[in-house]
Amino acid sequence: MTVKKSRKFSDATVFILPAVLLLALVFVGPLIWFFIQALASVGTPAEMLSYAWTIITSKAVVTALMTTNWISLMVTLLVLLISYPLACYLANNQGMRFTLVLFCIVVPYFTSIIVRTYSWMVLLGRNGIINQVLLYLGVINEPLALLYTKTGILIGMVYVLLPYMVLTLFATMKAIDPSLMRAARGLGASGFYAFTRIYFPLSVHGVVSGSLIVFILSIGFFITPALMGGPSDVMIAMLIERSVEIMFDWSGAAIMSLLLLFATLVLYGIYYRVTDVRRMMGA
Amino acid sequence: MTAPKAVNPGRRKFTTGVAVAAVAPTMFWIKKAAAAEQVIVRTPGGVFDDVKKETIYDPFRKETGIEVVPVAATTAKLMAMMKSGQNELDLIDTGDSTLLELEKSNYLMPINYDEFKYTNPADIDPVVKRKYQVGCFIYAMVLGFNTKAIPVGTEPKSWAEFWDLKKFPGRRTLPDMASGTPSLEFALIADGVPMDKLYPLDIDRAFKSMSRIRSAIPKFWDTGALSSTMLADNEVSMGALWSTRAAVAIDQGAPLGIQWNQNALLAQAYGIPVGAKNLANAKKFIDYSSTPEAQARWLAKYKAIPVNTKAYGATSRDLIDPATKTPWTKSKGFLLDINWWADNRQKVGQYWSKWIIG
Amino acid sequence: MKGVASGQGKGAIELRQITKRYGKERVVDAVSTTIAPGEFFSLLGPSGSGKTTTLMMIAGFADVDEGQVLVDGTDIVDVPPQRRGFGMVFQNYAIFPHLNVFDNVAFPLRARKLPNDQIQERVQQALELVRLERFADRFSRQLSGGQQQRVAIARAIVFQPSVVLMDEPLGALDKNLRYQMQVEIKEIQQRLGMTVVYVTHDQEEAMNMSDRIAIMNNGRIEQVGRPTDIYENPASNFIARFLGEANLIEGTIEEVREDVAVLCTAGGLQLRARADGNVQPGARAHLFVRPERVTIVRARGGIAADPAINHATGRLAQTSFLGNILRHVVEIEPGIRVTVDVQNASGGLFRAVDETALLSWRAADSVILQR
Repeated sequence: MTVKKSRKFSDATVFILPAVLLLALVFVGPLIWFFIQALASVGTPAEMLSYAWTIITSKAVVTALMTTNWISLMVTLLVLLISYPLACYLANNQGMRFTLVLFCIVVPYFTSIIVRTYSWMVLLGRNGIINQVLLYLGVINEPLALLYTKTGILIGMVYVLLPYMVLTLFATMKAIDPSLMRAARGLGASGFYAFTRIYFPLSVHGVVSGSLIVFILSIGFFITPALMGGPSDVMIAMLIERSVEIMFDWSGAAIMSLLLLFATLVLYGIYYRVTDVRRMMGA
Repeated sequence: MTAPKAVNPGRRKFTTGVAVAAVAPTMFWIKKAAAAEQVIVRTPGGVFDDVKKETIYDPFRKETGIEVVPVAATTAKLMAMMKSGQNELDLIDTGDSTLLELEKSNYLMPINYDEFKYTNPADIDPVVKRKYQVGCFIYAMVLGFNTKAIPVGTEPKSWAEFWDLKKFPGRRTLPDMASGTPSLEFALIADGVPMDKLYPLDIDRAFKSMSRIRSAIPKFWDTGALSSTMLADNEVSMGALWSTRAAVAIDQGAPLGIQWNQNALLAQAYGIPVGAKNLANAKKFIDYSSTPEAQARWLAKYKAIPVNTKAYGATSRDLIDPATKTPWTKSKGFLLDINWWADNRQKVGQYWSKWIIG
Repeated sequence: MKGVASGQGKGAIELRQITKRYGKERVVDAVSTTIAPGEFFSLLGPSGSGKTTTLMMIAGFADVDEGQVLVDGTDIVDVPPQRRGFGMVFQNYAIFPHLNVFDNVAFPLRARKLPNDQIQERVQQALELVRLERFADRFSRQLSGGQQQRVAIARAIVFQPSVVLMDEPLGALDKNLRYQMQVEIKEIQQRLGMTVVYVTHDQEEAMNMSDRIAIMNNGRIEQVGRPTDIYENPASNFIARFLGEANLIEGTIEEVREDVAVLCTAGGLQLRARADGNVQPGARAHLFVRPERVTIVRARGGIAADPAINHATGRLAQTSFLGNILRHVVEIEPGIRVTVDVQNASGGLFRAVDETALLSWRAADSVILQR
């Protein structure tokens, strides 16, 4: 009996137990409690449902959801396009080059997101550096609307989310045996053929999981779209924040948060499946 | 969209769990401070605190031996703290609207002006001398402009002119719903409503009026910093913004001008939360910081209008109307009715959400 | 196996003074050799000797800093690896993990855009050749090490290259399987008549499979030859030691007559050995003799003086049991120990340690080495 018990606890799970308990105590518990309380205060379950339905089907929320999805999708695609070659470079280089590129990607993240977003505003404004250079070079005749538009949001969010994708892809690519590409070329494949048939398929799990991570983070994004977006570019997290901070409408915020949480959990479920498959593939 | 009536009771009841989680870091912070006589104050933080520490907190400690411990907290956090009964604050230094929300939920104690020893209560400007809160400084929502784009003297002189896109083309900014109070008052004034007949606001008419200049507004600002940054960078050439924000930018050399006509008076204020552990210290602090001397010392460095009328003499001349020798807020402004806003903010918010997405 | 047979008479490789530098270090230093079509040629050496780099220069994965690589008379130094047309087998097999066995073997054919029916046929033949026809649908993680190895071989030969390069292909296999695979690879090579350049650090493997071996050390080829030649006539102490057990007895050359030299040890013992024309009297040198060429008997007085036989007496210092071999170490002089291997045949018993032993071997079985 005692032997059995001690063996059970020598398992590695015992080490993550404090973390799990802490998370349950300070995060999961209060979260569930919050939802129950915020929603119960609306009234009977029937009233609750009808209230939730009113909120979810309101034009503001529907539009915000559409905006959120569209922006998140675009951000994910752009981040992927930029990150793939970067991660590829990192995975296939060592020493100074590796350190330098990684440094450039990671170091900005030690400054606050607000400072970084304001820096973008200095760059992208109508009188910002980019517009001034383009005007000076005669590329454009009047300033481009880079800021306070969806373009602005995309630029800002892509920049903020880049490392998540780069590091996810990097981890996957680093696990690709470099001798496979060498083998492909040695067996007569051109660089392009070897990439499309060998490298890309082997990195596709990283692409999928990186995209899911970026998408999940995107749909909950708040500061960058609030600062860099235009008046009508309202994302769901901005609505939630406003409900809580300005209107003290905790029930409405709870319903929108539940919606967001649900979407996130579904995506996380997919992510979990994907990483699971990857483990099975042993790649 | 019609929200059921049940929403309001929902706002009253509360969620202990969330509140505890939200407040926990604050408690750690407070425990670290010296255990001697102290008063724990919620403040806006940042530069505001730096100036106030030098001009009020430190002299107050020398005078009374009481340490002022500033703590940062958002409005939502304040509400959570109060509603869960986990209050660790002795004093709240925040906008008058927020204090009113707290007051309406019975989370504030009345200000006992009779107990004042340092300040003569009669000297305090009556517009900010309320039962449950007392102003600490007065500022205004004003018409600001970039002086490089619009030379001083040629700026719009009224909200009607601000609304006139033909006479004053160019990009503008106005506060977003997320700032708490979008400029419905200015929209109505521009539409012809007299300044003294604004309330109750005609919400529909105000939004119709705002729609007229919507196309010239690339961005509604949600934080004060954004408003002055956009003006300073000439991202917009004019806008409604807080006078204090404009003043900070001007002091830093930004090309900003202020047109005081038709300004909306706002107040930063103190309120004492129910359950304050250092109640006497909080009262003493309010009393002390309302003296003409303290107000003069502080507001010489932070460009806002004193609540103590005896301190006008030491106030920055930029804030005084030379014609009347009184602050601009008195000569050219109107008092923003925080009571109306407290009652109607959610309604305006829902209107806003629909209006903003076009 | 007509479908898979390589073109006869093609696949001659010539290396001309090829050099590879990393910084100041010459990891491959002016290596020259010729490999005949259909030859099984091994590059053998310890790690860091430059053998893999040499192979990578032939394959095109490492740039040739100086020199030429000629294949059937054409310099291919500037040809990218995918157009050199070599079959390649890598140390860790490099089986594509997301493709099944069939698609792995079909890869070189698809890269060459062959029609589908031809791909079907050739992959089938290649899989039959390596006896994996029943495993076409499997993925590498479902295969044993030996099976993965066969996939790699099938993939390397399926497009009928005249040259196949192999980089320590058996390094990851256990000893028994390795021997079996050596036989299979050799068999396939002989059947298809292709040239194989084979890198290994295992001398038994090299000797078992190769037509010729090039022994590499410090970026240079120290000796090239058939396995027996190199084993019997190593060019240096290094090669003598690298290719199995060797006795190297140090001494001074006393006299050289025709192709026989007399070496005198510090203790005055005179030993005879074969010597080439470069050996001069008075030089310091080593006498090389393999342990299995030395016989051991109990010392028993009078020895017949035969100049064709070397004799030495000594004290039996150590014995070891190696299964098929009984190893004896005899100290013939202070500091000079001779290893003697005796077949574990009936009667091949150990001598007792400290017993005096008499050693003898033919002068023709020993060589004077000056390097």
